[in-house]
Amino acid sequence: MKHAALVLLLVTAIAVPLGAQSDVAARLAGRVPPEVARAVAEIAAGVAARGLPVEPLVQKAVEGGAKGVPSDRVIAAVRALAARLDEAAGALRAAGLSNPDADLVDGTAYALSQGLSAAQVRDLARAIHAPYDAATTLRVAATLSGLGVPPKQTVQLVEGVLQAGDTPDDVLDLPSEVEAGMAHGASAAQAAQGLGHDDTHGRPPTWVPPGHAKKHKP
Amino acid sequence: MSMSKTYHPLVKGLLDGERSLADLPPELRAEAEEAERLLGAVDRTPVSLSPALDARVMAAVRRRAASPVRRAWRRLVEPREFELRLRIRPWIAWGGALAVAAATALVVLGRPSVIPAGGPTPTRVAARDSIYVRFVLYAPGAKRVAVAGTFNQWDQNAAPLVPAGTSGIWTTTLALPVGQHQYAFVVDGQRWVADPGAPAVDDGFGRRNSVVAVTAHAGRAL
Repeated sequence: MKHAALVLLLVTAIAVPLGAQSDVAARLAGRVPPEVARAVAEIAAGVAARGLPVEPLVQKAVEGGAKGVPSDRVIAAVRALAARLDEAAGALRAAGLSNPDADLVDGTAYALSQGLSAAQVRDLARAIHAPYDAATTLRVAATLSGLGVPPKQTVQLVEGVLQAGDTPDDVLDLPSEVEAGMAHGASAAQAAQGLGHDDTHGRPPTWVPPGHAKKHKP
Repeated sequence: MSMSKTYHPLVKGLLDGERSLADLPPELRAEAEEAERLLGAVDRTPVSLSPALDARVMAAVRRRAASPVRRAWRRLVEPREFELRLRIRPWIAWGGALAVAAATALVVLGRPSVIPAGGPTPTRVAARDSIYVRFVLYAPGAKRVAVAGTFNQWDQNAAPLVPAGTSGIWTTTLALPVGQHQYAFVVDGQRWVADPGAPAVDDGFGRRNSVVAVTAHAGRAL
């Protein structure tokens, strides 16, 4: 009985990565060059064996193929993403989420790719609570960081919005608010600093467009 | 040679009459003046129509409306809105839901699984509401424009934009699930262009992807 269980475990350990490998190769056939499909399938097999989602890898490869990115760059990007999925799972475990779903691991990896550290992601994951969706909130933080908001400020901004009890839609709108401030000439950090003041539309209260002198009181 | 020109959001504001040239930062003024020159070239001379035109048009409309054959045909083929109200007892609703669930389970369990290892693929469309989002790109001279992104597997044939006359403005409206999506415009099947009016992030290949946030109450191309 004990032997049978061991054999079953071994078979499962081998079958899962092999299944992932063939499935990924089939899905990428015709969408990326064959060498990319082979390499991504191998990377995906390793990722699946560690219990991580392979869908983000497939999507990244498909994106690279659609954009006509050279094969070596697509493979490098997929390999880097696989490493970030590992790092993301570790950060989520450190935040007390031992069994995160695929979407959350993907969102966390995206946050890491846009400049947030594992510790910042961990802290943010701890701060997220109902009714906020953890994966979406981490993606918002990632986008803010990708826009140029310093990571530390990003975490403070998102945590502040969560603590203030703003709606999940308000959280989703944060990047567009920052973008609006940037369209008026503010830096990403300035635009993020101005959030929370509804009448400024992402601009800090003292902000003026470039080329316009500040008005001084007499 | 294909050519595409997208204006800075502040310049677009000027064209929309939201601000004046003096409001723009100096570095945008040349671009604004060029945009105004282009618009100035449009012929805006008032068009005068013959006084008899109204009468001729209305006579034609009345002739068509009076035809009983046409009325019957329209009733058959024109789309209409129906409001369907049902009054059902709760036990019937629960019974129906259980039956549908059982049928779904039979169908799902009865066919080979295609779920990749490492967990099922998220299916947000089924789980959450979809919101209509309008995408707009100003690309004069383009022969073909499409939008591709995480919502359509980056397929540049899945969501073509339609030109608005000869204005150079291309648009399309897509139903997207609530959440955050990355995308880019594909001009003439070759050039991948980030949306100039939306936040953009590094795509991992040295380019930029635009980001759209679809909220439960409103969808918008940022």
